Order: sequence, then structure tokens, then C-alpha cells
Amino acid sequence: MAATDNTSRRGARGKVLSRTERLRSYRYHHRATLKTSVLKMLREPLQSLLTILVIAIALTLPAALYLGVENISQLSGGVDSSAQISVFVKKGARDPALTKLAEQLEGLSGVASVSYISAQSALDEFKAVSGFGSALQYLDNNPLPEAFLVQPLLFNDASRLVAEIRKMALVDDVQLDMAWLQRLDALLDIGRKLVLALAVALGLGVILVVGNTIRLAIQSRRDEITVVKLVGGTDAYVRRPFLYSGLLFGLMGALVAAILLASLGFWLAEPVRNLAGLYQSQYSISGLGFGGFMVLLLIGGSVGLIGAWLAVGQHLRKIKPN
Amino acid sequence: MIRFDNLSKRYEGGYEALRNVSFEMDAGEMAFLTGHSGAGKSTLLKLLMLIERPTSGNLLINGKNLNRLPHAKVPFYRRQVGVVFQNHQLLFDRTVFDNVALPLQVAGYSHADIGRRVRAALDSVGLLDRERQNPIALSGGEQQRVGVARAVVHKPKILLADEPTGNLDPQLSAEIMALFKRFQDVGVTVLVATHDIDLINRMNMRIMRLNQGQMEQDGISYGGY
Repeated sequence: MAATDNTSRRGARGKVLSRTERLRSYRYHHRATLKTSVLKMLREPLQSLLTILVIAIALTLPAALYLGVENISQLSGGVDSSAQISVFVKKGARDPALTKLAEQLEGLSGVASVSYISAQSALDEFKAVSGFGSALQYLDNNPLPEAFLVQPLLFNDASRLVAEIRKMALVDDVQLDMAWLQRLDALLDIGRKLVLALAVALGLGVILVVGNTIRLAIQSRRDEITVVKLVGGTDAYVRRPFLYSGLLFGLMGALVAAILLASLGFWLAEPVRNLAGLYQSQYSISGLGFGGFMVLLLIGGSVGLIGAWLAVGQHLRKIKPN
Repeated sequence: MIRFDNLSKRYEGGYEALRNVSFEMDAGEMAFLTGHSGAGKSTLLKLLMLIERPTSGNLLINGKNLNRLPHAKVPFYRRQVGVVFQNHQLLFDRTVFDNVALPLQVAGYSHADIGRRVRAALDSVGLLDRERQNPIALSGGEQQRVGVARAVVHKPKILLADEPTGNLDPQLSAEIMALFKRFQDVGVTVLVATHDIDLINRMNMRIMRLNQGQMEQDGISYGGY
């Protein structure tokens, strides 16, 4: 400390800064830059709001589509486990043969459970549910076959089990109702690809929007940049406030997008619950969650930063003191 | 301190602003650079600030050849140089204090250090009581003095001035020149570009005269007018 005092008292030359001093003032400058970036944003509220809204909408669209696809695929995941194989037994099979078939089915690998539905109970259930009860009274004999319901452990095993069961002697027909599940899966695949394409396109849009906003900011601060360069400001020093602005725009956009998504979820919650109620389901839509929110912030922040970086790289070089 | 070694500058389009200019300035020396507009005064100062690079010849500062200085090192070189502009280049979106503080902020001085040095610089130009004002509220002479304070706040080894009295009346001009003389007295190398003949005749100092890009005259005694 004594040495520093000496130097300034003599007032001879600009002093050489120590490492810690540099680091401290570096941190100080980062804080100060962040503060002025926020203030600059507030000083032009309309322009800032427009930029933030454009970013928010561009982030909300793919994020909403993504959440839609994820919710539907969760729904189909719930259906997966209830995929059952219906095994219809040939007419006239006697009880000992049925018992043997049941044992055979239970012995297959990958089978979780086997339940027996007698022809009579199937008919009773059909009478009760279909509403044709009185008409069915006129039938001479029960047209329905004896049946087993086989529950596979894994959905992926279902087709193999169907093939094995079909080979058994007493089996008349085997049905696995999974075609619609495969179609849904294919649709979800298309949905996911669409989300990605939309996200990339709109992400590029956000980069352009942030880039343009930063370009205007650079132009309006041309004098300041010129002077800073003349008094020995490094490129990094000149760049820093604009990068902070870009980052802030991206983060604010992501925040607004999260609010929009939450409102959308809130708005849809009631009708979805009604729809689920019609299917006797407890299903409710799931939102972004904390992890999703962080990812959204990360994407918004990086896209803003990239936009600012590109604009700064392109325009700062052009500003030359004269 | 400053050495121009057969330096030429040709701009794109073929205009030759400086032709084989050679001169030397010792540390702590003060000199005037004069000549008609278009004679190359501004170009010479731009070369010294590394805003422009020479087409041929060598420019040495403190024995170091600036031609070999990479782009990334230019800011650090500029921190050893103070510049006063004709249009003073003050920023009207901040106070006088913040204008003068800029070279220190850029170089990463601590908050307390900046306060002390800025006040010392403002004191030396007699504007300590104006630190909180916006420079737009000051008179032309005061604005130029703020510009001088900003140019010397980081205690540069070299002080350059491009027509620093261009817009000022004779008395204010003399005040600014007296300021420069004071910095020379504490060891700063001072180079002032001006066409204010009356002023420099009264100062009795080294004068370098450029004519169409060439060094026409270099000496203490001033003749020819």
C-alpha cells in the first residue's frame, strides 16, 4: 500500500495493476455492465418489449407443440401396458382340454397373467353392455367361443407371443389390437420431427431478431464505441454490454414463454379433465416442470447470446475512429 | 520516444497523405505540427494512434516498432497515449466525471482509484466543481478542458492533440496551450497539430511543418510567414 501511495504522490506514470486488482475490477465491470444493460433495456421499454415478445412467441410455439406430443405419448404409454392378447378357443373343446391350454399359456415365457372367460360369461357381459339383451334371448345357442385373455409382461413381446399361441392345437384365432398404437407411435414420430424443424426455424428467427436489435443498439451508441476504442478499450470490453443485452433479451423471452405455456396449460386443464372423465381416466396434462423451465431458459439465453455475438462481430469492426 | 523512419501513407484510391516523413521526439519534448489542411497532420496523428497503419517505413515508440504490433495489442498501446480532439468527442449521455473516468474504467482501475485520479485530473484543468454536470451544459472552452482531463487522467507517456484550439477564442486557446506546457513539464511527450500560427509563434517551441505530405521544415525558430 505504501508503494502505491508513493507512486501517486510522485504522480509520474500510470501505474501497473496487480492481478487481483485486475480481477476485482473485471468482476466490477461485469456487474456494472449488467446493470447498465438492464437500465438501457428499461430506457426503451417499447422496443425492448417488442423484442422480448417476439422471442417469447418464437419459443412458445415449438415448446407448446413439444409438450403436446409428450403428453400424447405419455397417454399411449399408459395404453401399452394394457395391451392384451385375446385367444379364442375352437368350438366344442372340453373342460380338461381347456385346463391344459390354460396351463400351456401360463407356461409361455413373457406372460404376466392369463384369465379365462367362459362363453357364458362373455355372452352375459355382451347382453349387459350392448343393449341387445332382449334380442339375444332369441338365440338358440351361445355363438361366442370360450376365450383366454393373455397379458404380456412387455408390450414388445406381444407379437412373438401371438405367433407362438397361434401354433397351439386348440386355438382358433388370436387377436392383438395394437395396429392403432403403431399408428399413434408413427404420428408421434412425425410430431417430434415437426417440433425439431419448427424449433430450428424459429430459433434462427430469434437469432435474427436479437441480431437486429443489437445492431440498432450499436448504431445508437456509435460515439461511445468510438471513444472507448480510442482510449484503449479492448474488443472484449466493447462487446460485453451488447452480449449482456442479447443474453438478457433471450432470458426475458424464455421467461415470458414459460408464463405463456403455463397459462396455456391452465386454460386447457379443465377441458382435458372433462375429456379424461369421459374415458374413466384420471389423466391430466403435465406442464414444463422445473427441468423443462431451465432448458427453456438455457435455449433462450444461448439463442440471444448467439444473435448478439453475430451482430457485434459484424458491426463493431466497421466502427473506426477518425 | 517517438521516431518516424521514412514513413509513407497511401490511402486506398492512390491518395498519398504522407511521403517519406522522418523525425524524432525525445521523452518530455513538446512540439507543434503545422501545415495547411490536407497537408497530412491528421494522418500523422492517426498513425500515432494506430487508427491507420503506414504503407511503408517504420514507426517506433520507445524503441518498439508499431508495425509489428498485432491488432489485439492495439488497445494496450493506446492506454499509453492521451488524445485531445478538435471536436473534443465528449459523451453527452453521462456526467463530466464519467467522461473523464472512461480511460480508467477501460483499463480496469478500481472504483476508489478512479475517483481519486479523475478528481486530480479535473482539478488540474480547473473544473473540479463541474464533475456532476453534463458536459453539454459547459462552454466550449470548458468542454475542451474536460477533453484534456480525459486525455491525461491515466497519466500517458504521450499526449497528442488534433487542433485542440480550433473552436476557441485566443484567450481560451492560450489557456489550453499553457495546460499542455504543464504536462510537458512533468515529463509527458506532447505533440500538438494546429494551424493557429499566432499562437505557436508566441510559444517559442519546436515546429514541424508539413506540406503535401512531406516534412517541409523542422526547427525551433519559425520562419516563412
